[in-house]
Amino acid sequence: MRSLTLHLKVLITVLVLLGVAVTAYQIFFLGIPVTEDETDDLWNIDAKVEFVASTKDPIKVQMFVPPLNRDYVSLNESFISNNYGVSVNRADGNRKVTWSARRASGNQTLYYRLVLTKRYTNDKNTIKGSTFRDSLAVEGPEKVAAEALMAPIRQHSADVETFVSETIKRVNNLNDDNVKLLLAGDTSSMKKAQVIDLLLSIAHVPMEKVHTIRLVADTPQTPELWLRSFNGNDWLYFNPDTGEQGLPNDRLLWWTGDDNLITVDGGKKANVTFSMNNSEMNAIRLAKLTDENTDADFLEYSLYGLPLQTQQTFMIMVMIPIGVLVILVLRNLIGLQTLGTFTPVLIALAFRETQLGFGIVLFTVITALGLSLRSYLEHLKLQMLPRLSVVLTFVVVLIAAISLFSHKLGLERGLSVALFPMVILTMTIERLSITWEERGGGHAMKVAIGTLFAASVAHLLMMVPELVYFVFTFPAVLLILVGFMLAMGRYRGYRLTELVRFKAFLKKADA
Amino acid sequence: MFGLIKTWKALEARGIMGINRRNADYVLKYNKRHLYPIVDDKIITKERALAAGIHVPEMYGVIETEKEIEKLDQIIGGRSDFVIKPAQGAGGDGILVIADRFEDRYRTVSGKIISHEEIEHQISSILTGLYSLGGHRDRALIEYRVTPDQIFKSISYEGVPDIRIIVLMGYPVMAMLRLPTRQSGGKANLHQGAIGVGVDLATGVTLRGTWLNNIISKHPDTTNAVDGVQLPNWDGFMKLAAGCYELCGLGYIGVDMVLDQEKGPLILELNARPGLNIQIANDCGLTQRTHAIEAHIEALAKDGVTEDAEQRVRVSQGLFGHVHPR
Repeated sequence: MRSLTLHLKVLITVLVLLGVAVTAYQIFFLGIPVTEDETDDLWNIDAKVEFVASTKDPIKVQMFVPPLNRDYVSLNESFISNNYGVSVNRADGNRKVTWSARRASGNQTLYYRLVLTKRYTNDKNTIKGSTFRDSLAVEGPEKVAAEALMAPIRQHSADVETFVSETIKRVNNLNDDNVKLLLAGDTSSMKKAQVIDLLLSIAHVPMEKVHTIRLVADTPQTPELWLRSFNGNDWLYFNPDTGEQGLPNDRLLWWTGDDNLITVDGGKKANVTFSMNNSEMNAIRLAKLTDENTDADFLEYSLYGLPLQTQQTFMIMVMIPIGVLVILVLRNLIGLQTLGTFTPVLIALAFRETQLGFGIVLFTVITALGLSLRSYLEHLKLQMLPRLSVVLTFVVVLIAAISLFSHKLGLERGLSVALFPMVILTMTIERLSITWEERGGGHAMKVAIGTLFAASVAHLLMMVPELVYFVFTFPAVLLILVGFMLAMGRYRGYRLTELVRFKAFLKKADA
Repeated sequence: MFGLIKTWKALEARGIMGINRRNADYVLKYNKRHLYPIVDDKIITKERALAAGIHVPEMYGVIETEKEIEKLDQIIGGRSDFVIKPAQGAGGDGILVIADRFEDRYRTVSGKIISHEEIEHQISSILTGLYSLGGHRDRALIEYRVTPDQIFKSISYEGVPDIRIIVLMGYPVMAMLRLPTRQSGGKANLHQGAIGVGVDLATGVTLRGTWLNNIISKHPDTTNAVDGVQLPNWDGFMKLAAGCYELCGLGYIGVDMVLDQEKGPLILELNARPGLNIQIANDCGLTQRTHAIEAHIEALAKDGVTEDAEQRVRVSQGLFGHVHPR
């Protein structure tokens, strides 16, 4: 007996661990989202490039495009251009698209379209950067002003992070004479960044200009300037105007460096306008879309690899163990009496087709009528098989009648009774009538209500979309379920109803 | 919620056995599935009992097919009272007790007059499996009608009171007298409304009883006290029950017996999943008693000794007998 218990414990542990491990692997390692509602924002970014081509020269348009190496994944990227050759190349962590044409004239419009989303980047790129650089050359009064500014900054800072933010704060203090001198009347972000760069370079603190796009729908955008500095582990981002640290989540890094977004050779009046909108998408579908771009092969080996129709069947099937679990808990822990073990699960499945409220009414009506027919047949003293056949036929006729009436009344619901619920109904009637005869009407009512209750609970649980999604996506959960069921197999505590049943003992004890 | 936990703890402390524990620790552990037919089929039980020399109500005949229903008259012969039972019936359903007959009609114990055709239909229903567990085809059994001993006259309403003893590995653990009531329709099943009265294992004196999960001390129909009644031939019952272990090989059974006016204690049937209300009737939990027996068996096994039915009865009586009603 003891070895059996040990055996069982080992089995349960193995199953639960396996289930947890596989599920955890799917969630944390493969990054499969836990809920279906976890839709991802899908950003559609259009960069419209307009310029006027000069008729004589060949045209070469170079524009930075997002490097997409950190938090975002591109799902689709397209370069829309009529007669231009397109090439994309990487340099210094930036990506640049080059449109080129031998000849063009007049207003030119090129489009760059990017569909991207966060996530599905499990590989954290090792971040590289330098922590030292040479000072920029500076002469004369600027040098004096810069050094005057440096002294208090040095005093008020402890590390790279505080040094940079202190510098930005000082430079934004426009009343300071030294700052005025260095800015030379230009208070744009660009100029400020330049001054900050100068100051930091004197302290040999590395700094890079980062141009970002804000992911906000339906507002015109211009690239926003941020500064970043490398502290040895990670990039620290700073807003040059406010000294605010940390890049907000909705910023997309477009390019880094001092260069302009766009350079046009053989053209003028170059202008880039950004427009973006977002849409949401089921996370799994998204994962499938990103398939080509990332390693989403795991989906091939999940239930999502099945044809769509089979998937739908499985979505129902994987929920059956959940329904069975409900019955198990209701019967062995609570002590609810139901008609057989699996009849409630079958009824719960039938509710799928009829909807809950209507299903309960329908089941009650048909079962009541069926039972009265059954008790009438009892008087005729028929044998079991012929009697069952009559009941089944009666149920068919009854369902047909209900369907017809409800259709005439304009209630399409009545038509929802399909083949499957009908067989279940007949079985229910037969089993219920046997119970009625064996243990009396009161008990039969109790059992019938218990069955309907259990079926409703099971149905409601089996219909929770989050749960369906979860079990379907992480079928290993079923192993955990089996572990629980095995444990229940040796549960020997009281059932909830037994606490009531044996109350007599307590009354005695109190008296 | 805390009330429930308190109830739980209190029941646990008193050793009250729940269904889950009964199933996991006793029924599944001691009762081999393949032996179930011996207790589920009353005909097999009877044959086994006869072979082992254990007293059972005399079997007049068995009807197995529709065709054999014709033989009914032949089986009954000249007898005026008899019982028709489904061999695999559960909960006393489908049992027809004929008390008397005159001309071509029969009178049941409850006084209902029925015709020969109705008896034949009843047998036909039994054969199609209407009363059997799971609706399988069944056999009908025609046997001796037990006349309960006069001692039960005052504390029983119609029907035949029976005595149930729970037997663990041949050791009687707990006993109960089941008395039919008006509500139970003459049947001795507790869930149908019969009374269960606890019985002291050593003396055979009745204790208080249970009716519909409550503790009572008077019969609701006759209002006579059910406690303090000395059951006759008690040691005979105990030995009969203890001997059933050898008979069927199942380790945890409920043995249902009757006391016939003329033939004394007889075995009616065995039950592989005896109910738990016997605990309320005895105002005592089963778990402590079964644990005591299990410990005793373990001790015996260490010494390599086995005990016969008589010794086992004495062990049980020593361990659980002489309870004083509180």
